[in-house]
Amino acid sequence: MIVLGIESTAHTFGVALLDDQLKVLADVRKQYVPKSGGILPREVAPFFSQVAGAAVREALGAAGVRMGEVEAIAVALGPGMGPQLRVGASVARALAAYYGKPLVPVNHAVAHIEVARWLTGLKDPIVLYVAGGNTAVISYAEGRYRVFGETLDLPLGNALDTFAREVGIAPPYVREGKHAVDICAEGGEFVEGLPYVVKGQDSSFSGLLTAALKALRGGAALRDICFTFREIAYSSVVEVLERGLALTGKREVVLTGGVAASALLNEKLSLMASLHGAQFRPIPRSYAGDNGVMIALTGMAAFKWGQRVEPRRATIRQRWRVDQVPVPWYYGFP
Amino acid sequence: MEELLAALESSVRAFPLMKRGAESEVRLGTFLGLPAIFKYRLPKPYMHPKLALSLARQRSVREARVMLKAREVGVPAPRLYALFPSMSLIVMEYIEGETLKEVAEKDAERAIELGRRAGTIVARLHEAGIAHGDPTTSNFIFSRGELRVIDFGLAEFTSDVEDFAVDVHLFRRAVESAHARIAHSMFSSFLEGYAEVRGAEWVAERAEEIRLRGRYVEERRTVWGRG
Repeated sequence: MIVLGIESTAHTFGVALLDDQLKVLADVRKQYVPKSGGILPREVAPFFSQVAGAAVREALGAAGVRMGEVEAIAVALGPGMGPQLRVGASVARALAAYYGKPLVPVNHAVAHIEVARWLTGLKDPIVLYVAGGNTAVISYAEGRYRVFGETLDLPLGNALDTFAREVGIAPPYVREGKHAVDICAEGGEFVEGLPYVVKGQDSSFSGLLTAALKALRGGAALRDICFTFREIAYSSVVEVLERGLALTGKREVVLTGGVAASALLNEKLSLMASLHGAQFRPIPRSYAGDNGVMIALTGMAAFKWGQRVEPRRATIRQRWRVDQVPVPWYYGFP
Repeated sequence: MEELLAALESSVRAFPLMKRGAESEVRLGTFLGLPAIFKYRLPKPYMHPKLALSLARQRSVREARVMLKAREVGVPAPRLYALFPSMSLIVMEYIEGETLKEVAEKDAERAIELGRRAGTIVARLHEAGIAHGDPTTSNFIFSRGELRVIDFGLAEFTSDVEDFAVDVHLFRRAVESAHARIAHSMFSSFLEGYAEVRGAEWVAERAEEIRLRGRYVEERRTVWGRG
């Protein structure tokens, strides 16, 4: 059985093919990298439209698979940015309708968790999901993923990107696998006075962002502010996860999402987990960011457990929460 | 003074470790002959030492002040015995019993009933201008027929409706994530208890707003209308 997965929630148009031995037959990613500014849907969506057809052909070619051999089409219908989601949804609906294949709706956040569970081998973890559009601590209970804590305002990745952009060190946001703020923080020192906000189980970054920019206007050294900003932001999400670990009693910790590549965040989580006797594993770097493989993987699980959608009803859901998705396969897959 | 603190430190370290929480190390010992909890707020090893130390001190001092105030207004918080800010150490009354979390795992009916009492306690704190900051089911203890509230480590003096609503939101979040099966009944009972002390409607409404503010809630309204 082969499943084709399509990802298009933010900056990456991904097409992947996966067989039921969980062998990745193809993993094509077309990433939009802005020359200036941030990820603007009105710029990314046309880019997706241009690369979509080629990406699907490239994936089939790389796998040596014909559409006839594909058993189901999985597509990320949310959460994410509307214009980009619509491109992926249109492509998936067209393929499903034209080739008469079942269409499987996949929640992007659930997919980040499933690919992390698969690749780390940790089956029942508490998950720190940090990305440009999401920051949440999630764990499974009674049939669904539950949100233990989350950001009350900006996602962590967004806060880092916005800070980098405002102080003129990005784009590009990532150079050789390192975020602009990480590069800028080298040689920096911790300065007092920036707010650290953890409200019970939730975090907040908008006050930190404002205070950091204000400190710079007041003459603080950029590398010190980069260092402190990053230190406070990462520490606060690790602390939220630490509380989640205590409350849920889980023994495994997994890190996933675009910000998962951060070496410092990995270091902090690893320390925290060892302090509580929990096992920590990050997702391999190459699967931290958005990709089609995670959509195909989750689509395969959902398909095996009977989840599918009529193409005409496969509308996008920008605000589709992770806790709205039944996860009946949790103990049986991957 | 430094010698005194060093002596205190070494005698406290000799007490048995009761619990290493997300926040602190809790030891059970005796203070002036009374059984007592010694709560060290540990600098978090995963934070920069400066950040970790300043958070630990700030939180210890704030915790002690809030506990005093809570007792003053009749909230069954632990009695404060002593505070050593430079060591981030609080000495307080030892409360023996089961956490509400443990009760919820084995006795749903009792947990739902105690949810009501938790609501009353949280409402009393709010009346006194205190937001608990972390009212999860691990932070209520059922002791000698009475529900007590502990761990004021994240508590704040506030008059902001938002902070109170966050408490209510956090209680709901805690029961939803750890006790999904009885979450609804426990939370309803919590709100009933809350309403016995002060108006619960507005705070519940605001808590709902906070939930909706979490990212990706489908019914969230924006300035452009629904969702």
